Amino acid sequence: MAHQGIWSGTISFSLVAIPVQVVKAIEPGHISFHLLHSKDYSRLSRRMFCPEEKTIVPPDEIIRGYEIVPDKFILMTDEELESVSPERSRTIEIVEFIDMKEVDPIYYDHPYYLIPSKGGEKAYQLLVEVMRRTNKAGLAKFVLAEREYLVAVTSREGALVLTTLHYSDGILPDEDNSLKKGKIEAEEESRMKKSIEQMTEDFNPGKYADWRKKRLMDFLAAKAKEKTPVEAPAVEEEGEGGPADLVAALEESMRKLKENR
Amino acid sequence: MNRTFVEMAGRRLPLSNLEKVLYPSYGFTKAQILEYYSGIAPFLLPHLKDRALTLKRYPEGVEKDFFFEKRCPEHRPVWIKTAEIPQDDGKWMTACLVNDLETLIWVENLASLELHVPLARIASPQTPDSMVFDLDPGDDASILDCARVALILRDLLSQMGLASYVKTSGQKGLHVFVPLNRRETTFDDTKTFSKVVAEIMKKHYPDLVTAKMAKQERKARVFINWSQNDASKTMVCVYSLRANKKPFVSFPLEWGELENLARLGDPGRLQIIHSEALSRTENKGDIFQEVLVKEQKLPHL
Repeated sequence: MAHQGIWSGTISFSLVAIPVQVVKAIEPGHISFHLLHSKDYSRLSRRMFCPEEKTIVPPDEIIRGYEIVPDKFILMTDEELESVSPERSRTIEIVEFIDMKEVDPIYYDHPYYLIPSKGGEKAYQLLVEVMRRTNKAGLAKFVLAEREYLVAVTSREGALVLTTLHYSDGILPDEDNSLKKGKIEAEEESRMKKSIEQMTEDFNPGKYADWRKKRLMDFLAAKAKEKTPVEAPAVEEEGEGGPADLVAALEESMRKLKENR
Repeated sequence: MNRTFVEMAGRRLPLSNLEKVLYPSYGFTKAQILEYYSGIAPFLLPHLKDRALTLKRYPEGVEKDFFFEKRCPEHRPVWIKTAEIPQDDGKWMTACLVNDLETLIWVENLASLELHVPLARIASPQTPDSMVFDLDPGDDASILDCARVALILRDLLSQMGLASYVKTSGQKGLHVFVPLNRRETTFDDTKTFSKVVAEIMKKHYPDLVTAKMAKQERKARVFINWSQNDASKTMVCVYSLRANKKPFVSFPLEWGELENLARLGDPGRLQIIHSEALSRTENKGDIFQEVLVKEQKLPHL
């Protein structure tokens, strides 16, 4: 299996430090479509538009603002944003061990595998085994791409899995959604329990597949056989000349230059 | 395999096959390559610092196969500094950072004769420190034609209020650098600017210059490759060796010296070999240093 490492460093707690790599654990495989111009099949590109000036805004005129009240913004520069970002870190420091059963699945965000780097294999195996036997999860802070995540490290089928968790203030309360408690009729309860029992199976996710994806792929394959694909026009490399100001300034400089030579 | 150990900054580094000749027609061994790089290190390291290194490795020497390695080799010592680089496909890649002599020696022990780096540092991958014009002569053109183009380019940029610096590619071409060192300047800016410059140069000097990649067009002309101004491209680092028959270096020249050499018309004088690179830096220091610090804004964008 080719591992696509997205981070490398060490996982540590008390006196243990094991070199590891973080690799992807899931590949959702969405099918994505390009947006084309119906007239000439050109691939469309996104531009930032200023509704005030009715013009396309160049990148160097784009800045960041945080809206505090409608239409009032606090400006934020790259430097300021960087100043509050966490420092890059080379360690996943386990700060406490918890019982994974205590973690409400609503906190689970995104899973990754941790794989041992050179020299870390033995200590890694030991940690996998001990965590399996004690059935504990390590809670740690982890910095990836300028964000700090709360993560749970668990043992799964001989490997360590790192799952990023939502912070508790990111979980919305459910009070508005839940109904007022009413009286439960004994007969209704037992009928429902029975249906659940009848429908109970072992969890076997392999039974289910992404049907829409499969039908979409089949449909596209069939269509590709019947119809020749439309072609985007070649992007014109030459001739558009660039910003008029710059071209004029360069022409003027060139003229002076040739006069002096 | 023959192994020797060196002790550096408290780290024990194994070096292998030191007597292996990697430039056969010049008789230049791996030991001599390591010697060159440790001598040039004080001048080279600031230019490599915090840039994702692409290794170009010649394990069997310059006359045999080479391979590019963008990923930092997995079997690296733990103290090698690395950075995670986001890729176009949304994946991440671990790259080596050569910020100290020990790492440089480790990289050279892997026979990475050439060191290639991007124009941006890892902390700001979309912000090039320089705009670059890669002058590449066609089959019937020479480095002297490149020198003529470079000198016109210098004057044109200077008319626009921009200082520029030149180095040899160590092969047949020249690289003209325009230091920027501003956070606001993006690769879109440098690409737009350099492309317009290349087209204006071609328009006014059609017999000397082309801005097109096509080989036929390039034959007797100098190709101004502006498309190097891209986050995904790398350039050979100043002071890196090149894998030619002889161990030539990508080396900075003073503009006045380039003028003189262009006038003399001896293309050989435009190639700086390893020993000359060492003695020149010894006497004059790093004349490419301004490229790292000088702040300039591209006008009219």
